[in-house]
Amino acid sequence: MTMKETNSIPTPDASVDVTDLRVRFGSVTALDDVSLSIRDGEFFTLVGPSGCGKTTLLRSIAGLETPSEGQVIIDGREVTAEPPESRNIGIVFQNYALFPHMSVAENIAYGLRFHDLSGDRDPDERVAELLELVDLAGFGDREPDQLSGGQQQRVALARALAPEPDVLLLDEPLSALDARLRKQLRVQIKTIQRELDITTVYVTHDQAEALAISDRIAVMQDGQLQQVDTPEAVYRDPASRAVAEFIGDNNVFSGRVTDDGSQLSIEGGLLPLPTGTDTADGTSVTLSIRPELLSIYTDNQPVDGQTLSATVNTVEFLGDAYHVHCLWNNRTIVVKAAATTPPKGEVTLQFDADDIHIL
Amino acid sequence: MLATLVVVFYYPVGSVLSSAILVDGQFTVDPLVAVLGDPFYVDLFGFTAYQALLSTVVSVAVGLPGAYLLARFEFPGRKFLRSVTILPFVLPSIMVAVGFLAMFGQTGVFNDLLSVVGLGPVKLVGTLNIIILAHAFYNAPLVTRLVTAAWESVDTRRVETARTLGASPLRAFYDVTLPQLIPAILTSAVLTFIFTFMSFPIVLALGGLQLATVEVWLYARVQDLALTEAATLGAIETALSLGLIYIYLRYEATQIKSSSGGRRLARKPLFVGWRSLVDPRRLGLFAYSLLAVVLFVGPLASLVIESLTTPQGAFTLDYYGFLLSQQSSAAVGTTQPLPAISNSLLFGVGALALALPMGVLVSVVAIRESRGSRLAEALLTAPLAVSGIVLGLGMLRTLVFGTELFGHRITVTGPIVIVTVHAVAAYPFVTRNITPALSGIDDRLVDAARALGADRQTALVDIELPLIAPALVAGAAFAFAISIGEFDSTVLLAEGVDSATMPVALERYIGNRSLGPSLGPATAMGTVLLAVTTISFVLIDRTGRRWNRR
Repeated sequence: MTMKETNSIPTPDASVDVTDLRVRFGSVTALDDVSLSIRDGEFFTLVGPSGCGKTTLLRSIAGLETPSEGQVIIDGREVTAEPPESRNIGIVFQNYALFPHMSVAENIAYGLRFHDLSGDRDPDERVAELLELVDLAGFGDREPDQLSGGQQQRVALARALAPEPDVLLLDEPLSALDARLRKQLRVQIKTIQRELDITTVYVTHDQAEALAISDRIAVMQDGQLQQVDTPEAVYRDPASRAVAEFIGDNNVFSGRVTDDGSQLSIEGGLLPLPTGTDTADGTSVTLSIRPELLSIYTDNQPVDGQTLSATVNTVEFLGDAYHVHCLWNNRTIVVKAAATTPPKGEVTLQFDADDIHIL
Repeated sequence: MLATLVVVFYYPVGSVLSSAILVDGQFTVDPLVAVLGDPFYVDLFGFTAYQALLSTVVSVAVGLPGAYLLARFEFPGRKFLRSVTILPFVLPSIMVAVGFLAMFGQTGVFNDLLSVVGLGPVKLVGTLNIIILAHAFYNAPLVTRLVTAAWESVDTRRVETARTLGASPLRAFYDVTLPQLIPAILTSAVLTFIFTFMSFPIVLALGGLQLATVEVWLYARVQDLALTEAATLGAIETALSLGLIYIYLRYEATQIKSSSGGRRLARKPLFVGWRSLVDPRRLGLFAYSLLAVVLFVGPLASLVIESLTTPQGAFTLDYYGFLLSQQSSAAVGTTQPLPAISNSLLFGVGALALALPMGVLVSVVAIRESRGSRLAEALLTAPLAVSGIVLGLGMLRTLVFGTELFGHRITVTGPIVIVTVHAVAAYPFVTRNITPALSGIDDRLVDAARALGADRQTALVDIELPLIAPALVAGAAFAFAISIGEFDSTVLLAEGVDSATMPVALERYIGNRSLGPSLGPATAMGTVLLAVTTISFVLIDRTGRRWNRR
């Protein structure tokens, strides 16, 4: 590891650094002491429910919001006080925000008025290159309102990329599109990101999208970071109840550890604790188990491992499986069952105590 | 921006207001007591409010069926009709007053028509009726416009929901539609009251001193050089209208903006073959349309007709000949038509050039949501509440008569003062046009431009201004038309003959008896004014469109 001369850079290989960032809107604190390091070339996603501060964080990186405290550092340069136009970023919004009085090509070329291209390339060539990149070759003369939503979003992406920004910022870029198109386009965005190897910050409220597309994810709630990690780690090892409930489908229970320390007592029932759980009796504990880690048995045969007796309440058909909502002691437990017919009536739920995750 | 307004608005108006409570630098309530304790002035304010109230009632009554027609029925020319409801607002009021004289005067078109069927003549000039009718000419279209917009924004789904829940069409109208119309009706009524309370040229030309309102009397006192008394009157009037404007702004702010989503009410065809003639609702609307044509087209048509006919009804060009003879007359004190025309156009261009940037700036301030900008917006909106006479009087007392600054006596003369006053009168209309357009622009367009490297000013020029170009053009046309028609301040400031404008010349010709007791010269000048106003409005619109085409 090499030492850098300036000590203003916390992590040497970080492309975007945010330290102790605080943003207030009147009396509301939208971002509360947030620190993050986004690595060079990384696809980094901010995910969380609406109002969690993810868009505010993105806009602070862009220079579109003014933090009351903290720093934003892009490529080792502190830009907290710099206006958006001097940060060399590209941004794409949910509603595309194409300039309606300019053609597609003029939209893409707009940023080139303010930037010199590397290697003295011709702006027109650059526009053609980008139209090619987003599969819209030949669309340059169209007006934005002549394009579909998905096409408009690709133009917005091309426009953001044209001036060769250091960082690409995407604010819910797919939320206005229908489900099928959303999936197609997210693959295209990911492919382009890999191809250009550009540091990308992506904001979405869709946890499935976040899991599918990201190198790393930051889960946010109430203006604070809950967990920053890879999609796998966030899914399998959620750091808080908020993360466990927000990312993926989950069953979450809170209760107190029983006297012998082996079980969790929750209103009306007992659940086993994983072996080696280091908790004193009487402490209150929250645990979670994913629907796919539970099995469901309809015949009354004895089964190995931990079991619970439950009643099927509702069944959702997902195509490749069923989501079975069971009632156990007046609580709902969701089970993902790859059965061919939907289970009903009295059932036995089976699971491995070590699959239970303590929060 | 605010500094400019301080010099050309707050300072002059403040000088008027302060003279009501300051005599020789001492605070006193004597002038106020003198005015408020005088039964004559109490009556004057009472009558002014009374005629404003009647005018408001009549304007709402005439305006509402128009809104019903435009919002609920489809017919050829509906869109055109909807957009011309803005026109009366920019027509020079003194010209409209002469139009009403030409229509309803002793030898006017209306009485001529009555005599054909053996009726009349009816004496309307000098009565309250004609003043109220002329006020309705101005304000009923305003009512129509605001209520139509509210009616068109009613979400069909709400009405449909009420219907599916069991409401009859009438009941659904009462429960769902009407509550959305009432704010618009009240808003337009308050505005009408304010405008007619401060009305000047219409009352001056149609009522004279017998039916004087505060504004007319104020003008008369200025003419008699009773400036302190005039200032006191102006101060009380301004306080009242500021109060009304405050009520209006508070009320307007609390109105819920209708959501942009949802489907709009479908319009019914107005003409449904022969059945149109047996449907009482449609028959009512046809009758209304006929009345509307008489009220709105009548005065303008009469203006042109009377300028071309003798009182006996024969065709004549004498009145235009009169204008030419005035032009070539060397007599002192003659108001020449050509300089009046060129003054009007020149002042119009000047006012436009000044009012446009002022209006844009005010809009930019207005759409920023912060406490400071609220205050700035209020300060910048206040000119709406101050009558032209009061502003004109303030200008006379300060900039025109001269003001001491750092030991130098500064006087600003004729044309410059007139252009600034016109700009002050016009920029609120520029703002009215631009603010909705500007706030309709998605903030993210500017964000995107800035992220791409444009600074704030560049983004304004590259993105926002091109997108509000149509509103800018409309604002420019308004500013120009307001300047061309401005009478209230100009008549005080256009001393002598050098800086007379068309409306001022027109007013002077009303009393001209050189061709006998005839309205001819005034109608001829009025027709010229009408033509110039129309042509410039169309020209600005055309140029704007060409410039706007990419």
